[in-house]
Amino acid sequence: MKHSAFKKGLRGFWWLTVGFLYLPLIVVMVFSFNASNSAASFTGISLRWYRRLLGNDAILSALGNSMLLAVISSLVALAIGCLIGYGMYRHRHRKLGWLIVLIYLPIVLPDIVFGISEMTFFMKINELTGLLSPGLGTMIIAHVTFQIPFVALIVYSRFVGLDPSLFEAAKDLYATPLQRVRFFMLPTLKPALISAFFLSFTLSLDDFVISFFTSGPESATLPIYIWSAIRKGVTPEINAIATLMMMAVALAAIASLWLSRRRTVS
Amino acid sequence: MPKTTAVIGRSQAIVRETRHLLFTVTPGAAWIFFFLVLPSAYLMSVAFMSNGPYGLPEMPLSLTSFHQLAGQGFLGWSPGNLLTLMRSLWQTVISTVLVVLVAYPVAYYISQADVRWRPILLLVVVVPSWTNQVIRTFGWMNLLAPGTPLAELAEAMGMIAPHMGLYPSNFAVTLGLIYNFLPFMVLPLYAAFEKLNFSLVEAARDLYASPIKAFWYAVFPQTLPGLLAGVVLVAIPAFGMYVIPELLGGGKGMMLGNLVANQFSGSANWPLGAAGAILMLIATFIGLYAMRRIGKRLGGGEEVVI
Repeated sequence: MKHSAFKKGLRGFWWLTVGFLYLPLIVVMVFSFNASNSAASFTGISLRWYRRLLGNDAILSALGNSMLLAVISSLVALAIGCLIGYGMYRHRHRKLGWLIVLIYLPIVLPDIVFGISEMTFFMKINELTGLLSPGLGTMIIAHVTFQIPFVALIVYSRFVGLDPSLFEAAKDLYATPLQRVRFFMLPTLKPALISAFFLSFTLSLDDFVISFFTSGPESATLPIYIWSAIRKGVTPEINAIATLMMMAVALAAIASLWLSRRRTVS
Repeated sequence: MPKTTAVIGRSQAIVRETRHLLFTVTPGAAWIFFFLVLPSAYLMSVAFMSNGPYGLPEMPLSLTSFHQLAGQGFLGWSPGNLLTLMRSLWQTVISTVLVVLVAYPVAYYISQADVRWRPILLLVVVVPSWTNQVIRTFGWMNLLAPGTPLAELAEAMGMIAPHMGLYPSNFAVTLGLIYNFLPFMVLPLYAAFEKLNFSLVEAARDLYASPIKAFWYAVFPQTLPGLLAGVVLVAIPAFGMYVIPELLGGGKGMMLGNLVANQFSGSANWPLGAAGAILMLIATFIGLYAMRRIGKRLGGGEEVVI
């Protein structure tokens, strides 16, 4: 009797927590369909804020920047991170402590310290050489830096999960290194690469603080646009972009999860 | 002479392996070194310089920035910066404690659910954190604004003045922090609960331990590694949080992250900002080190995979 009361209480607490977690997101979604200007009252369903988005050049260019940044940085991070992940696996019997510290650094560094370090350093380099003026280029560098560790760790754990004799079999059959990459490495790595790409892409789309400090006047991404719109005074269009962004990130994350799971099941 | 050829062969193999290691690892290691280690080292060095015109760092070296962080200004000592530091510390402690209190039953609930449901329930907790932090905080601004049901309830209870919202306030910042970090606590706690050895609990019950005693002696120690991992994952980023205090705290809810960031924009003073960043780094490394030490003493050398 007492036991079931405990279980009921636990279940109630669970639902309360779920409500707490989703309430702010639901509010943003609901108000994105609000017919009225005011954020305080819901007057009816309308798509006018979504229509307004299509005519807003600043938002469209921010969207373009976000996409460009996410795609380019993820591809660069994929290439570099993949190499490290494989190197870590092949040479894991060696003392690679320094490498592991280096790889964990972007993950443990507080993002505000990360962003400001990059900003001050880029400004110094720019002052000395004229290179690295703040813009999409500096943002790509910063994003690649925080994406590399995640790609490396995903690729590494994929290799660890493989049967070591597979590597020897590829070698024993006199495959050249290039053939081994083409016919063995890439096919086995494919699921890891796809999920690493999606993860990097999501991390990039989702980042605000690091982008904020490394961006230039022309390179605002969607989170930066949303941030400045909120600071200037809330416009109801924000609910609409925010809703679209939630959808996009959720889809990318679910796709990555689905792909990585499908692979482990089969 | 087969022996020497074998030696030569082996040394060639070592050379080849080393070359392979360098080839695979160098691009990434160099990237992180040039674009993160060097920049952070540069930022550290800025903290020891003087504050020049426009807030840019200048020679000679000085410790002024650290004095300023402790509250010393042109007009003598003022508590502003110290208050911000104390507030960051307080917000970190209170939100971490509250996150633990919420996450504990939630993680337990998930671990007791049907095996097929567990990943889904876990996903339900994690999904909101996939949304951009700015958007999530904006959601809370909508919920706490003047005229919303929550604000009117608070007004009816006499907690806030009429026609005011629940933000900006320290309360809103705490709420935002709890909201933001809950999943980071649930995940490691769930991992600990899933491995829980229930025979210890049964043994405790057989020995007539009260539920509270059974929990304290048989369950809690087993979840401690997960709890510690969660505390590190919550407390470190909370201490340097920027977005939430900026949007929900206003001028009176500023935390260390805002103090640091502001020194690089408006009221610029790069050395002061860099000194704040050093403080944040020290806190980070103390947290990680303590976690490692305690983790080792508990005997579980396990890494928590996020």
